[in-house]
Amino acid sequence: MEIANLPISPSQRAKLLSAGYTTLTSLSAVSPFQLARDLNIALQEASDILKVMPEFTRSESLHGGNAILKGAQTAWDMLSEEQMQKHITTGCENLDTILGGGIHCKEVTEVGGVPGIGKTQLGIQLAVNVQIPVEYGGLHGKAVYIDTEGSFMVERAHQIAEGCIMDMLDKFRHHQKVILACQEQMQPNSFLANIFYFRICSYTEQIAVINYLGKFLAEQKDVKIIIIDSVTFHFRQDFDDLARRTRVLSGMSLELMKLAKTYNLAVVLLNQVTTKFTEGSFQLTLALGDSWSHACTNRVILYWNGNDRHAYIDKSPSLRSASAPFSVTSKGIRNATSQCKRVRMM
Amino acid sequence: MIPVKPEKLFNLPTQKLTLGCPVLDRLVRGGLPVGSVTELAGESGAGKTQLCLQLLLAALRPPALGGLSAASLYIHSEFPFPLRRLLCLLPSSAPSSAAALNPLDHVFVRPAHSPDDLFSLLAAADALIARPPSALPVRLLVVDSIAALFRSEFDNTPADLKRRSSLFFKIAAKLKEQARRFGAVVVVTNQVVDVVGVSESDGSSSSAIRVGNYGSLWSSGRRVCPALGLSWANCVNTRIFLSRSDEIVRSERALEFGESDDRDDRTVVRTRRKMEVVFAPHLPEASCEFVIVREGVFGVETQRPQN
Repeated sequence: MEIANLPISPSQRAKLLSAGYTTLTSLSAVSPFQLARDLNIALQEASDILKVMPEFTRSESLHGGNAILKGAQTAWDMLSEEQMQKHITTGCENLDTILGGGIHCKEVTEVGGVPGIGKTQLGIQLAVNVQIPVEYGGLHGKAVYIDTEGSFMVERAHQIAEGCIMDMLDKFRHHQKVILACQEQMQPNSFLANIFYFRICSYTEQIAVINYLGKFLAEQKDVKIIIIDSVTFHFRQDFDDLARRTRVLSGMSLELMKLAKTYNLAVVLLNQVTTKFTEGSFQLTLALGDSWSHACTNRVILYWNGNDRHAYIDKSPSLRSASAPFSVTSKGIRNATSQCKRVRMM
Repeated sequence: MIPVKPEKLFNLPTQKLTLGCPVLDRLVRGGLPVGSVTELAGESGAGKTQLCLQLLLAALRPPALGGLSAASLYIHSEFPFPLRRLLCLLPSSAPSSAAALNPLDHVFVRPAHSPDDLFSLLAAADALIARPPSALPVRLLVVDSIAALFRSEFDNTPADLKRRSSLFFKIAAKLKEQARRFGAVVVVTNQVVDVVGVSESDGSSSSAIRVGNYGSLWSSGRRVCPALGLSWANCVNTRIFLSRSDEIVRSERALEFGESDDRDDRTVVRTRRKMEVVFAPHLPEASCEFVIVREGVFGVETQRPQN
C-alpha cells in the first residue's frame, strides 16, 4: 500500500515522501507529534493526515489484518456484514434488480439525468421507502433531504407516501398481525415527519450543512439515507477558479463518504447533465467534471428511450452494467408498464 | 453555530397562486406553487404574456379566492408593457382584497435591457420586496421574457456558452432564493426554437437532447423546444408549454370562440391553443386546451380523447 493513494493534498504527500514515509505501514506507528516534527508542519495538520488513514485503509480491505492497522477488516468480515445488509427499494423491481437489490447503505450513489426524467421523484421515493417498517421488509429508517433547487414538493411526498402504504398493505394483506403491529407507522403524515428537510440557497450553505450532518447524525441514529437534490446546482455559478471548485467538491465527497461509512447509511446524490465540448462536437455528460466522477461508488444514468424512462448503471465496482425501464406514476416510481397506456391526467 | 436547521415538512408553505381559471387550475392542481420557479415557454403569440398579466391580477385576490393578497413585480424585456391589455382585464378580475382598492397601485413594472441588468435588478429587488412601498407584500415575480435577454447577447462559441450558462445559474439561484425567502411565486417566460435534423421517431438521438417529454412539442405545425438549451432547463422547477395551431374548420360552432377571420359561415380559421405540463416535481405530464378572449385566458374542457 502506497502513500500515493492516500486522499491528501499533493504537497502533504510530497512532504511525507521526502521525509521517508513511503508506505502506510510506516505511518501506522507514528504519533502526530513525531509526524509534525518530521514534516515540519502544524500539529493539527499532522493529526489530520493520520486521521485519514484508518478510514482509508478500512475501505481498502487491507491484507495486513487487524494487528497492524487499527480499524482494518478482513474481506471475509466485510462479506458477511454485507450479506446482512438490507437495501432500500426504489419501488421499481426492475430497477432494484440491476442495483443489486436496491440502494446500498455505506455507499454513495449518484443519479443523473435530464430535467424531467424523474431524479427528484426518485429522491422523494427513496426518502419515503427508507421508512418502510422492518415488519414489511424495510429498514425503518429516517431520511435527510437536502434540497438545493426548491423542487421538493410536500404534496408530492404525501402522494408517494400514500402510494407506498397502499402497495405495502396490499402486498401484506394476508398478514393481519403485521398490519396491526404497524398501524401507527403506516400513515402518510408519520412518513413526512421522519424526513429531515434542509433547504439551502448557496454552495457555502451546502458545505456547512454537510459538515454539520456529522453532529446531527450522531444524535439521529435512525437516519439511513441522505439525499442531495441536486449536488450540482450551486456549483455551476460563480466558480471561475475551477481548481478551487474541484477541491471544494472533493472535500465534500470525502465527508459524505465518511458519513456513509460511519453511520451505515446510503448517500444518494442527484446530478444534472450538461453538454461537453470535445473534439469539435457537443456531447452529453454528467455535470461537475471528470474528477467528480471519482466521488461516488455507483453511478446511475436516467435517460429517455422513445417514450419510456430507463435507468443505466454507468459505473459500479460490484454491479454489472445493465439497464432497466421504469416509470413515474401517480403513486411514485414503479415498474414500466409498456402494455398499458401512460397515465394521463385530464 | 448551526447554519441551517432541518425543517418539518408540515411547516413548509404550500400555498398556490390561481391561474385565474378553474379549468387551468385543475391542470396544475390548484395553481402555481410558492417557493419555486415556473417557466412558461411558447412561440410568440402563444399567450405567455396574456397569462402573466392575468397572474398579476390573480395575485391581488385574497387567499380564499386562490390569490396571495400580494403585490407583484413585473420585469419585462420584450415589448413595451401591455398596459392597455392589463386595463382590459381589470373589470373581469375577481374582487381583490380590501387593501388593494386600486389594483394597479400594486403592480410594479420595470424593464430590463441585458442579463447583467436583470441580475442587478433582482439584487436591488430584495429591498423592494422586503419593504414594499404599497400596503401589500410583493409575492409574485414575473420575468417576461428571459429568452429575449439571452438570445442576442452571446455567440455560439464554447467560451460564450459557458459564460451564458454560468449567468443562468446565477440568475436562477437568485430567483429561487427570493422565492424561498419571501414565499413568492416566480414566473419566467421563455421562447422556443425549432428542432431541426432529428427524425420524428427518434427523439433521443445523440444530436438532440430530450428534456422532459418535448419529443412531442408542436406549435404552428413546427416541431419546437424551449429556447436557451439544457443548462437553463436545469434552472427551472416546473416547465409549462403553451402552443398554438391554426386550423380551418367548416362549422358555425367555432364562431362562438370569437377568433374567426371569416364570418361567412363557410370556412372559419380557428386557433387551437394548448397548455402542456412538460415537467414538474408535483404534476404528471398533462395538457389542456385554452382560449384567449377579451376577459382573459380560460381553459376549455374537451370531450376529445387525449392522445
